[in-house]
Amino acid sequence: MTFPRLLFPLAALVFAATAHAAPVVKTEHVEAQLLAERTGTQPGKPSMVGLRLRMAPHWHTYWKNPGDSGLPTKIQWTLPEGWTAGPIQWPYPKNLPIGHLLNYGYEEEVVLLVELTPPASAKPGMAAISAKADWLVCKDVCIPENGTLDLNVNVASAEGSPDNRWQLSFERARGMLPAQPSGWVFAAASTGKTVTLKITPPAGTPLPAKATFFPDRDNVIEHAAPQKSRVEGNSLLIEMKHQDPVPKDFTTLAGVAVADRDWPGIAGRKAVVLEAAVSASAAPAAAAQSTSTTPGSGGGARSEVGGSVLVALVFALVGGMLLNLMPCVFPVLGIKVLGFVGHAHGDAKALRMQGLVFSAGVLASFLVLAGLMLALRAGGTQLGWGFQLQSPMFVTLLAGLFFVLALNLSGVFEWGLFAQSLTSNVSARGRNADAFLAGVLASVVATPCTAPFMGAAVGFTLAQPAPIALTVFLALGVGMALPVFLLSFFPNLLKKLPRPGPWMETFKQVMAFPLYATVAWLVWVLGQQGDIDTVLGLLLGLVFIAMAAWVYGRWALSEGPWRYAFTALFFAIGAWLAAPGETTARAATNATAKAGAIAWQEWSPQKVSDLVASGQPVFVDFTASWCVTCQVNKRVALNNDGVAKAFADRNVTALKADWTNHDPRITEALARLGRNAVPVYALYVPGQGAPRLLPELLTPSAVLDELNRLPAAPAPATAITQR
Amino acid sequence: MKKLLGLAIATAFAGVAFANAPAGSPAPAFTVTDLAGKPVNLADYKGKTVVLEWHNFGCPFVQKHYKSGNMQALQKKYGSDVVWLAVNSTNKSHGDYTAPQKLTKELKDANAAPAKYLMDEPGTMGVAYGAKTTPHMYIIDPSGKVVYNGAIDDKRSTSVDDVKGAKNYVVAALDEMKAGKPVSTASTTPYGCTIKYK
Repeated sequence: MTFPRLLFPLAALVFAATAHAAPVVKTEHVEAQLLAERTGTQPGKPSMVGLRLRMAPHWHTYWKNPGDSGLPTKIQWTLPEGWTAGPIQWPYPKNLPIGHLLNYGYEEEVVLLVELTPPASAKPGMAAISAKADWLVCKDVCIPENGTLDLNVNVASAEGSPDNRWQLSFERARGMLPAQPSGWVFAAASTGKTVTLKITPPAGTPLPAKATFFPDRDNVIEHAAPQKSRVEGNSLLIEMKHQDPVPKDFTTLAGVAVADRDWPGIAGRKAVVLEAAVSASAAPAAAAQSTSTTPGSGGGARSEVGGSVLVALVFALVGGMLLNLMPCVFPVLGIKVLGFVGHAHGDAKALRMQGLVFSAGVLASFLVLAGLMLALRAGGTQLGWGFQLQSPMFVTLLAGLFFVLALNLSGVFEWGLFAQSLTSNVSARGRNADAFLAGVLASVVATPCTAPFMGAAVGFTLAQPAPIALTVFLALGVGMALPVFLLSFFPNLLKKLPRPGPWMETFKQVMAFPLYATVAWLVWVLGQQGDIDTVLGLLLGLVFIAMAAWVYGRWALSEGPWRYAFTALFFAIGAWLAAPGETTARAATNATAKAGAIAWQEWSPQKVSDLVASGQPVFVDFTASWCVTCQVNKRVALNNDGVAKAFADRNVTALKADWTNHDPRITEALARLGRNAVPVYALYVPGQGAPRLLPELLTPSAVLDELNRLPAAPAPATAITQR
Repeated sequence: MKKLLGLAIATAFAGVAFANAPAGSPAPAFTVTDLAGKPVNLADYKGKTVVLEWHNFGCPFVQKHYKSGNMQALQKKYGSDVVWLAVNSTNKSHGDYTAPQKLTKELKDANAAPAKYLMDEPGTMGVAYGAKTTPHMYIIDPSGKVVYNGAIDDKRSTSVDDVKGAKNYVVAALDEMKAGKPVSTASTTPYGCTIKYK
C-alpha cells in the first residue's frame, strides 16, 4: 500500500469530524433530517440541501397539491444574514387512493430539495442553518407534526465533493424531479366535463403507453376519477374528468405527467413538468389524424399551432394535388389538357402565361371560398366543406353548367362566335380569360370531393384564426394548380403528349361522357334533396337547355337575330323549368337506407350516447349523397356480406348521419371529431372515451379489422391508470 | 394481480357511485338518524337555510376549528335563522368512530351547538353529497338548492393561529344570503382529513 492511498481514508476521517451529520428529529410517525448534498458550499453559489422525511410503514406525507385532502409539507428557514433559500423542489408523487378519494403524496421516504445560496461575502467556516418543517402525516388518521432541524454548512472557497452518505438519497430525489424538456408541445382541451391533455415529444421517439397527470391545482380535475391515456400518432393523450364546477379562471393546465417508463429523449426521467393552454370545445382527443385539430383560440396554444400549421400545409398541398385525380375534377382537367395539347406546339411564352393564369384562377377561387367560409363562420353559421352542395339551387346550377359543357364537348355547339375561331385566331386575352375560368371551374367542382388528407386539413383550418385558415386554403389551391402549372413551364413534358390531330375531336367527344355522368350524379343529389317533381323539372329544363345549345350550334354561321333569340328563349324556359321550388328541401333520411344487409338506423347524438352508455358499440357513417367518396365506400366496403355479418356478430349498431341537407347537429358532431367534411366513419366503443376513426377511403378489411378488435362480449369499463 | 384488478374495478365503480352536489344543484334528499336515534329529513327544514358541516373530532383540521372556538361561534351566530347540521360519515370499524353517547358528551364538552348531529355511519349521505373532507361545508337555501359547497375558510392548515385572518366562506355566504344577495363565492375546494367512509 502506497502512502497516498493511506492518506485518503485519513482525510475522509478528518472531514467527517468537521461535517457532522445533522441531528435526526424523530416524531411519532416520521424521522426527519436535513442533508447537504456536498461537503462544501462556495460563497454566492447555490448548493442543494434536502429535507428527508422517513415515514412509518403505510403512513404518508403530501405533495404540493395534496389532492382531495391533506396538506403539503412546509419549511420555514432560519438562515444566517444574506443567505437565501429557494422554493421546495418536489419529486413527483404517487397516487394514494382512500375510499372514494385520492391523495397525492409519498410513502416510505422522500427528500424535498431546496437550493440554499450563501451571500458572496460569506466567510469560510461553518454556518448554522435551521428549518422548521411542518408536515401532515396520515394513514387512516392524520397527525400534524413538525420539527426544527439544524444543519451546519461548510462554507469553503472550493466546491466540496458529494457527500457519499447522502449521494443515493439525492440521486433518487433528482431522478424523481420532473424534467423540463425542450421542444415538446403540450396542449389541453376542455369539453366542460373532461379535459384532455396532449403531450407531443419531438417526433421519432417512442412514447410510453401510459402516463398519469398530477395537476398543480387542487380544483381542476376529479382526482379520484380514473385517467385514460392513449397514444395517437406522435402524441400521448390523457383524458381526465373535470371537477364540478370548473373554476372560471381555469385557462392553463399545469402539473406533472408521470409515465410508466422513461419519457423518450430524457433518459432516467419518468416525469415531465408541463403547462398547457386550455382551449374550449372540441377535444384534441378527436384529432385522430396527425394534423392537429386543436382549436387555437387565443394566443395560448401558439406552440401547438406553430407545429401543426406546417403539417397542415403539407397535407393541404398533397391533398390539393390529389384533387386533380378526383372524379369531379378530372373532366375539367380533361378540357384543360385539350387546351394544352392544342397550344403546346406553338408559343411557349403564351403557354406559360396560361399556366400562370390557370393557377391564379384556382388560387383566387380557393381564396374566395376560404373568405366566404370564414365570413359565414364569423356569422355563426354552422358550415362544413361541401356545404355548397346542400343548396338545391347550387346543385341545379352546377348540373346545368356541366350539361352545357358536356354538350359542348359532344360537339353540339362550339364556344366563341364561330367554330373556326377555336382553331385559329383566339386572342391571347381570350385564351387567358379561358384559362382563368378553367381554374375557377376546376376549383368549384373540386370542393365536394374530399380527398384523403383533405378532411383533416380543412377541419384544422376551420378552427384556426383567419390568416392561418387562408394560408392553408392557399396551399390547397397551390397543390391543385401545381401539375398544370408545371406542365406549362416545362413544355418538354408536354411534347411527350401526343401531337394534335383528328384523334382530338374523338377524345374531346369521349370526354363528354364523364361530364354527362357527373350531371346524372347531380340530378341524383337533387333527388335526395327534393322530390321526384324537382328532378323532372331539372330534366325537362336540361332538355330545353340542350335545345338552346343546339340552336346556337346549328345556326352558328347565320348572322340573323333569330339564332340568339331562340337560344335565349329556350335557355330561359330551361332555366325556369329547372329552378328548384320552395318545397325542395325535404328531409332525405329514409331514402338511403335500403341497400345492404346492415340495418342502418337514423343517427342522433342522443342515440349514440345512450347506446354507448348501455354498453353497445356504435358505428356511425357520416355521409351525404353528394359525396362521391361516401358512395364508393358504401358500395365497396359497407354493402359487403362479410362486413354486414361482422356488424351482426359483434352486435354493433349502425347509425347513418346524413349530411345531404344542412344539419347543424351533424356539423357539430363532425367538429367534435376534428372534421368538417364527409365521409367520416366513427366507431364508438363503450368504456373508451373518443371514438376510433376509420380511414376515409374505406376497404372491407379496414372495417373488419376494426370490428374484430372489439371484444365479442360488451367491453368492461375498466380503463384504469396506475393506482 | 387478481386482487389488484378487483381493487381497480371497485375503485372505478366507487368513482361512478360517488356523487356530487355542486353549487346551483338541488340538494340531495336524505334521511339520517341523529344522536338520539331519531330520523332527520332534509324535507323537515323546507323554507329554511341549512348548513351542513362534515365532522370528525379525530381530525386535526376539525380540531383546529373547535379548539379555536371558531365552529361553535358560527353554529350560534345565526340563531334560529339557520339550521346547522353536523354530519359524521365515519364508518364503525374506523378508529375515529365514536358511539353516539360518547359523542354527545364530547360535543357538550366542546360547547358545540349544532341544531342536530347526524350519524351517517353507512356514508350514504356523504356519498350523495360528494363530501370529501372534514370539515366540508354546504349551504342549502330555503328553496332546497345548494348555494355553497366547499371549504370552511381560505387557510388550508391545521394551525389554530390561522383561523384569525382567514376569509370564512360560510360567513361570507350566509351574510350575503341575509342581505338578499347571491352568494359570490359558491364553490371552493374543501380541505381537511379524508372522510373515513366504509
